Amino acid sequence: MNPTTQTAWLLVGTNLLLFLALAPLFDGIVRRVAARVQNRQGPPLWQPLYDLLKLLGKENIDAVGILPFRLAPLVAFASILCVVMILPVAGRATALTPYADTLSLIYLLTLGGVAVLVGAFAGKNIFALIGASREMTTMIMVEPILFMILLLGVIKTGSLELTTVLYGTPAGDYGWSGLIMIVIALFALQAFVGRQPFDIAEAEQELLGGPFIEYSGPNYALFKYYMMIKQMFYAYLPIAVFVPLLHSGLLVVDLIAQMLLTALVFLLIGLLAATHPRYRIDQALNYFAGLFVLALGAVAGALFG
Amino acid sequence: MALTIYQGLFAGLLLLLAAAVITPLFAGRRKLAGALNFAFCLAAGVVFALVSVEVLSGGGPSDPFVLQLGGLSIPFLIDGFSALFLGLIALMSTLTAFYCIGYMEMEHYRHYGLRGFLFNYQIFVAGMVGIVTVDDLTIGFTIAWQMMTVASYFLIRFDHQDQAITRSATKYLLLMELAWLAVIAAAVLIPHAGLGTPLHALTEGLGSAEPGLRALIYGLLLFGFGMKVGMFPLGQLWLPDAHSSAPSPISAMLSGVMIKTGVYGIVRTLFWMVPPEMPGAQARQLGLILACFGVVTLFIGTVQALKQNDAKRLLAYSSIGQMGYILLGIGTAHWFMLSGNPLLQSLAVLALIGVLYHTTNHALFKGLLFLSTGSVQYATGTKDLDQLGGLLKLMPITALVAAIACVSIAGIPAFSGFASKWAIIASGLLGGKTAGIIVLFGVIALMTSTITLALTVKFYGMIFTASGIEWSRKGGVREVGVLMLLPMSLIGALCLVQGFFPGFFIELFIRIFAMSEGSLVQALFADPATAVSLTQSWAGVGFRLAPDGLPVAVVMPLALLAMLGVAGLFAAWLRRAGGAEQRQAPVWLCGYQTSNSANSYTSSHIFAAFKKFMWWTGGNVPRATKV
Repeated sequence: MNPTTQTAWLLVGTNLLLFLALAPLFDGIVRRVAARVQNRQGPPLWQPLYDLLKLLGKENIDAVGILPFRLAPLVAFASILCVVMILPVAGRATALTPYADTLSLIYLLTLGGVAVLVGAFAGKNIFALIGASREMTTMIMVEPILFMILLLGVIKTGSLELTTVLYGTPAGDYGWSGLIMIVIALFALQAFVGRQPFDIAEAEQELLGGPFIEYSGPNYALFKYYMMIKQMFYAYLPIAVFVPLLHSGLLVVDLIAQMLLTALVFLLIGLLAATHPRYRIDQALNYFAGLFVLALGAVAGALFG
Repeated sequence: MALTIYQGLFAGLLLLLAAAVITPLFAGRRKLAGALNFAFCLAAGVVFALVSVEVLSGGGPSDPFVLQLGGLSIPFLIDGFSALFLGLIALMSTLTAFYCIGYMEMEHYRHYGLRGFLFNYQIFVAGMVGIVTVDDLTIGFTIAWQMMTVASYFLIRFDHQDQAITRSATKYLLLMELAWLAVIAAAVLIPHAGLGTPLHALTEGLGSAEPGLRALIYGLLLFGFGMKVGMFPLGQLWLPDAHSSAPSPISAMLSGVMIKTGVYGIVRTLFWMVPPEMPGAQARQLGLILACFGVVTLFIGTVQALKQNDAKRLLAYSSIGQMGYILLGIGTAHWFMLSGNPLLQSLAVLALIGVLYHTTNHALFKGLLFLSTGSVQYATGTKDLDQLGGLLKLMPITALVAAIACVSIAGIPAFSGFASKWAIIASGLLGGKTAGIIVLFGVIALMTSTITLALTVKFYGMIFTASGIEWSRKGGVREVGVLMLLPMSLIGALCLVQGFFPGFFIELFIRIFAMSEGSLVQALFADPATAVSLTQSWAGVGFRLAPDGLPVAVVMPLALLAMLGVAGLFAAWLRRAGGAEQRQAPVWLCGYQTSNSANSYTSSHIFAAFKKFMWWTGGNVPRATKV
């Protein structure tokens, strides 16, 4: 193995460690922010990680005894790990980046969502089915918006290769369609991460956790971990696409800069979640449709402008 | 060599015709007749497959052949492009005939005689083989089209005691005759064309036509073949009704192969029947128009499919949607090809590969989906998604093969729809600024694949998982017999192969276009640079625009599968790491009550908000009243 491939494989490990470790921390930030807004003390920053560890040791209750039910958490967690493994963090391609392109990335992200649905459908619980129905509806509307953020990079560089799409366009070159897209990305953020006001699928007070209602213990831990990592990915994405790299020459410095910015995005997520009540699914649909049309406009601007 | 190919073709056709006469004689002994039907289909299928392999491996240009039949001359031509469709028809008709042996034993069909069914099955297959091998648009085309149409009409109205079914069949027949008239009218309008004029002469004739007349001819051809493909809004007129009325194996044939003859016709029209005299800027409008129809078809068809509660109607609408992807690919390829821009032309290659890839993939996974639905209907007597649910435990093998078909159509990474949709969508997106509106079509196509995902989850979830069957059918639901499971499993295995090894198929499709004479794209596909731009490895295929550059898009099913596998193992380890105990417990419904038919969440409820939001796309299903 020559040194470059060795580094590239090391980067796969770094990515995994980074996301596995920081995702619970960022979730902790959101919880702390929400608590402070509501005049509470809030849990320790690492509380989400403690929750995960505790869940891993709890009783694993299987309500249906069919394979899809047991497989779903594994697929969801595995799919998001794959996303992390192929992601060129801080502008550096990992050893696995050449095996996937932007379309693969989108499909892998969707696969996680599908796993959640399959698990919910397997569970025979009405609340789970209602939640799954909402989750899928949200996914149909929000997925294309995510994709259009990446599409700007595709149009500018004429490539679907991930590193090129994410980092190949200098921030200034995005023009006004890039600006619109940043705004759209921020407006869609809560929906991407399933936070209030778009926590319609889980809706704890109303659907008791929706798709996850029948899951407990380690299975639930895997789903929770999946959600946290997904949340971190979506918060990280606009930073990677629209904020220029430091290009300090040192991976660690570039990385820390990006992560600090991601933490800022989480601060925003927390603030919005704490101050906005949940939408109904039909209200949310109209909201997403608006964003979709705007995003399409921005893409058209990049195409014909 | 040419003679042996055509000898093979006619031998196969004669076998089918002989079978049409012989098998009905045994109709009284249903199992035997079914087995005979299968044996003849297998024999003919093997012959056709040999012809197909001979043509595809020959590499040289194939000579046409003129059949003299009572003073009429019918030109035949089997080039690489025909050979692919011939192979598909042979494969699907044989496996479906296999499935029919068991399926026609279904309780509901017991009091129907099989005589007509057996006769028409063979004629239907022979007609489809005819469509993809005759080389004219008049005599030979008419014979083939009528055999296909009339035979399929009788097959669709097999269950003729149901008035709704005979009505759908009649509508199907009328519309297909209308499509036939359109194609014939187009053929007659072409200058210097007579009965039995081969395609290349028709193309020359088109060259000397007035632009207005030419536009009319293309319009008629697109109408005729578009009707067959199920293009919006024509497909909505007949396809869902006909597909849901026919016995399931026939639906599998209709959706798996018959509508592909429309794809065959449209590709022939757009890539073989554009005369060099026609200015490129004018000709490529055809491609753009088709791409527009394609994107509308794929979006509307798929959204309409999402609304259905009848499993077969859902699949039928989704066929319309999937045909939309293929039409979009054909249109994109044509529009790019005639642009004169080398970048767009290399993307046209990718799009056209995507078209053939998705055509073959769809033939298998949609065929399999219809057969799975057939098995479910066989076992439970219903195809109503509101009444089904929870069959996974009762019919585990059917559930497994249906799962393969579902992940294939949904384009889950590593399964067949993934690679073919990748080719169609990527070709549109990579054009960037020069491709213009096509990029936006790509966005719509990608959005629609999420909807496809939603409808497959619903289809699978509402049949095999969730709950329902325990209340609608009291006991007696058993897995279908091995006679039905075997052909389904074979198709399932082929679906996996199609998904895992895109390199093999892409190479095959490049060769097909490279060896088929007279098309717009032959020179481009025959250029060694084309094969170089699509580099293969064990993991999949990478597409590069410059020979020494990085791939701009990749599809690596096996690599993704390996990654998912390793990550899945890690997840499985993590799940056990805490030493958690396992326990079975009933589903929890807030302690109010146990689950029952009155409080279950059925297909008509699911996606309610989205269905309402999309009311304007049509295909709405009135909300079922609870019994």
